[in-house]
Amino acid sequence: MYEFVSGPLVWIAFIIFIGGSLYKIYNMLSGAKKDITLFRHMSLKHSLASLVHWVIPFNNQYMQKRPIFTIVSFAFHICLILTPVFLLGHLVLLDESWNISWFNIPDKVADWMTIIVIAGCIFYLYRRLTDPVVKNVTDGSDYLLLAITALPFITGFIAYHQLFAYKTILIIHILAGEIMLIAIPFTRLSHMLFFVFTRALFGSEQGYWKHSKDW
Amino acid sequence: MFNIENWDWESKEKMLAEPAKWKDQFEDVWEPYISPDGEKIASIVKIGEGEFNIAINEGTWEEPFEKIWYSRFSPDGRLTAFITKDMEWTMAVDGKTWEQMYEYIWDTKFSADGKIIAATTKVDSVYSITINEKTWECPTKLQSIASHVISPDGKTSVAIAQTVPLAEGDVNAFTKGAWSVIVNGKPWNDNYADIYGLAISDDGKNVVAEYRNSICEYGILVNEKPWNEKFGCTWEPVFHPKNSDEITAPVRQAGQWFLATNGRIVWDKGFINLMHQTYSPDGNNIAAAVAPSFAKWTIAVNGQPWSKTFNECILKPYFSPDGRKVAAIAKDSGKWLLVVDGTVLGEGYDNIWPPVFGPNGDMVICKVEKNGKYAIAVNGKIRGNDYEALWNPVVSPDGTKVMICGVEDGKYYRKVVLLSDI
Amino acid sequence: MKPTIAIREPVVDDLMDQTEKILTEEQIEKVINEVIDQETGVRLQTYVNTCIHCGLCSEACHWFLSNDRDVSFAPVTKVKDTIWVMLEKKGKVDAAFIKRCSQIAHTECNVCRRCGMYCPFGIDIAYMMLVVRRICAKLEMVPLYLQDTVNSHAATMNQMWVKPDEWIDTLQWQEEEAQGYVPSARLPLEKEGAEIMYSVIGPEPKFLAQLLGNITVIMKVAGLDWTMPATAGWDNSNMAMYSGDFEVMARVERLHHETAQRLKVKKIVMGECGHAFRGGEYDGPTWLGWMSPPIPIVHAVAFYYDLIKSGRIKIAKKVEGPVTVQYPCNIIRNAGLGSKLQYIMNAVCEDFVDLIPNDRHAYCCNAGGDTINCGPPWKKIRVQSAKIQSENFKRTGAHTIVTPCHNCHSGVEDIVDGYKLGMHVKFFSELLIEAMEIPEHLKPKEE
Repeated sequence: MYEFVSGPLVWIAFIIFIGGSLYKIYNMLSGAKKDITLFRHMSLKHSLASLVHWVIPFNNQYMQKRPIFTIVSFAFHICLILTPVFLLGHLVLLDESWNISWFNIPDKVADWMTIIVIAGCIFYLYRRLTDPVVKNVTDGSDYLLLAITALPFITGFIAYHQLFAYKTILIIHILAGEIMLIAIPFTRLSHMLFFVFTRALFGSEQGYWKHSKDW
Repeated sequence: MFNIENWDWESKEKMLAEPAKWKDQFEDVWEPYISPDGEKIASIVKIGEGEFNIAINEGTWEEPFEKIWYSRFSPDGRLTAFITKDMEWTMAVDGKTWEQMYEYIWDTKFSADGKIIAATTKVDSVYSITINEKTWECPTKLQSIASHVISPDGKTSVAIAQTVPLAEGDVNAFTKGAWSVIVNGKPWNDNYADIYGLAISDDGKNVVAEYRNSICEYGILVNEKPWNEKFGCTWEPVFHPKNSDEITAPVRQAGQWFLATNGRIVWDKGFINLMHQTYSPDGNNIAAAVAPSFAKWTIAVNGQPWSKTFNECILKPYFSPDGRKVAAIAKDSGKWLLVVDGTVLGEGYDNIWPPVFGPNGDMVICKVEKNGKYAIAVNGKIRGNDYEALWNPVVSPDGTKVMICGVEDGKYYRKVVLLSDI
Repeated sequence: MKPTIAIREPVVDDLMDQTEKILTEEQIEKVINEVIDQETGVRLQTYVNTCIHCGLCSEACHWFLSNDRDVSFAPVTKVKDTIWVMLEKKGKVDAAFIKRCSQIAHTECNVCRRCGMYCPFGIDIAYMMLVVRRICAKLEMVPLYLQDTVNSHAATMNQMWVKPDEWIDTLQWQEEEAQGYVPSARLPLEKEGAEIMYSVIGPEPKFLAQLLGNITVIMKVAGLDWTMPATAGWDNSNMAMYSGDFEVMARVERLHHETAQRLKVKKIVMGECGHAFRGGEYDGPTWLGWMSPPIPIVHAVAFYYDLIKSGRIKIAKKVEGPVTVQYPCNIIRNAGLGSKLQYIMNAVCEDFVDLIPNDRHAYCCNAGGDTINCGPPWKKIRVQSAKIQSENFKRTGAHTIVTPCHNCHSGVEDIVDGYKLGMHVKFFSELLIEAMEIPEHLKPKEE
């Protein structure tokens, strides 16, 4: 079982993640061509300006107004992406298989980053359950996406600390990671892919076409 | 141009008036107009509080009026304007007023020979068309007139008019139809939600208009009879110049614009937009302003767009007299350009007026504006001097000369220049 | 997902009530799918698939904030209650649902685009509301007063059923009025080749004719070569753009631009109106295939900025006392004229008290985007939902609120009235007329 989930299934998950993402982006771009005005209203300068103002914390009025949400969101998303990519345990596996490696973050730090991701998930869950606006637009799929996001980190944390049933938890952890990868292109987790494009479009429309700003 | 053969094509240069002096003579001088043959120049002038007159060449009209506006020369060279006396309006022709006074009068139209002068009039809140002082006898009290057209012979006049009174917010009555076409005072049988793009064939036999039934249901009416086909939208229809049974209009289907003749789509290619379709003089070719893709404009001739496109807009196409060449004014990156058969001629200008072809089509003459001065450009290049005011050049019927009328140093000149010398 | 609970006082809108009775589910399904398949595309799909349901947009919306954070007014809820259901049910919805869609999109959203600016992904929620409006319009589910305005546009090419002679007559009358201040002032009709074509919105000749007199004086003092058309095409406003009748919108915009082309002017200067600028500069040209209007359009705020900055108009006496301003969404957030508006306000006011938030972050007056044109049936909730802006005005302590936009003007008057603010509401040109210097040689001669 372990060999399967850590071998062929990893391949399958990455192929679906990368292939699916490329397909989704290709699909979006070719569809966008049919929208006759869309590309004509875009500009690289204003796309980048918009991105700069939205990927740097507190670089727009709105983030300044919501400091807690901003801190949690940035911490969550940074840790979500960096932890799996720079985790020593993951890099060792990569080194064993392909003999490639890169900078890793100390396990102690990675552990805290994992906790931040899990805490972020709890924060989002709390918002979904208590904020009336969010609650009103939340259904099963939103909880499922939250679970898909949280599970690799929860299981990773348990596995790292070998709290119980290490082998089983490890298998679940790998599976959970694979499920998340597969889910990204085909669910609303695809905001990871489309963020750049929707931001660029609105930034361009506001900046290039309408001579204003979107931050 | 009416009676163009009998215009003075021999006098090389005539100084006919000194409009600059008018400024010393009168309190205020409005923008001048000239007669089609270039022999007269006229401006509305203010002579005192609530007192206006018209200065024309060396003189003025005999009688001043409380107010004068919309001075326009008829094709036969008579000067018309709207004037008011004791809060009522009427038409004045060469200073002589029509007998009848109106609550209001506006929108002068002429027959090709200028013998017939028509305008929209309003008396006791009822609207009508008045032609040479005779008002339509319309069985329906017209609530409003949006526009009117008269045939070149002046015998047929038509208007888009509101035939049914509409109470505020009565959308049901609106949808049922409150507008119709009135032909020589007689309304069509049916009413429509909206009527646009009214036209009469050159022979005066047929009348065409666009109609709108509901948000995405548009069509074309020919003498009251709709085309079988309906469209998402339409633009103004035009008649074939020789065959008044052939009508062509831009129509919209599935988000694209096509050209349709008598209801059938005749250009297979659709466009982002398609406007100003124009027949060649013999009717064998048709050209239109099109956008093959967003913000790229050009002229399509018989459905085939020029390869050169312009990023702002393109205006109505003009055929050469033999129908072989097409000229249009386009705007690209802030400059107006003269384009002939897809090639830009000369440089860009701040403004270009409609192009005039020489007789064999190899010469295109336009009035252009550059840095606040006007000049004549041939094939896009300025020839001759600058003018303070300038009118569109007119080519003589034998195709050897061109009449250029303009104001230089405050003096109005009418010049006749050999095309070979220009 | 459970339907949102929206508690509203019942509103009688004769057209919507009538349409609800006659719409069939087949018609509805056909139109929804037609619009989604043919008139939208990847943009709508991407927006729907990218929205993570975080609800952050709610904080941007004055409807939500003014109604004690009532969930049913949050932007994301508006999307949920319209587009999401249409997509999920593939258009199989009933007439009552379409009526609610129109209520949401036409009467409870100003398409002001503030929420787009507060969405982390830049999802343009106003765009989605316009898609909903398009669907509703094609089903003839449009608030009565709004539809009547659209009908006026369609029939007369102006917003207020102004007849051609009434238009010209009003201009001639206002020319005389202007001559009372500046005897040599002229309102030149149909002057081909003038530098500027000045265009206004329908309510000016109908109710606010003095504004036409004002501009005649301003143009004379500034020494500009200008004209106004004596034909249809003079009205730059466009409620069809907002109802969802894009064909009528395009015809109106085309005529407006082609009137300027016919008059051979260099630019169109338009009166103080926000949505008209949007229609003339953005939505109209886009539909017609122009990147921007071939004859450039200059909004009054930018025009007055140029006149004051260049010294063509000099300020003789600034307006005394605290004055504040309403930032019209369509020229500020969505056209970037914020700093120019601040400049001209400071130029004519001794004590310009700015709003908080200001510039592109300022709140909508809650009349824009067609909502005021939905008429008396929808007025109560509209004014009630402008509470947050009423508080902002109150804080300034100003005696006058300047509104360089007609919809803002009427909307802010309703706010002042509804919340008993006791402030005056004026157009910028009304302040300018009071403050500007009229050179000696232009003044009436003493008898």
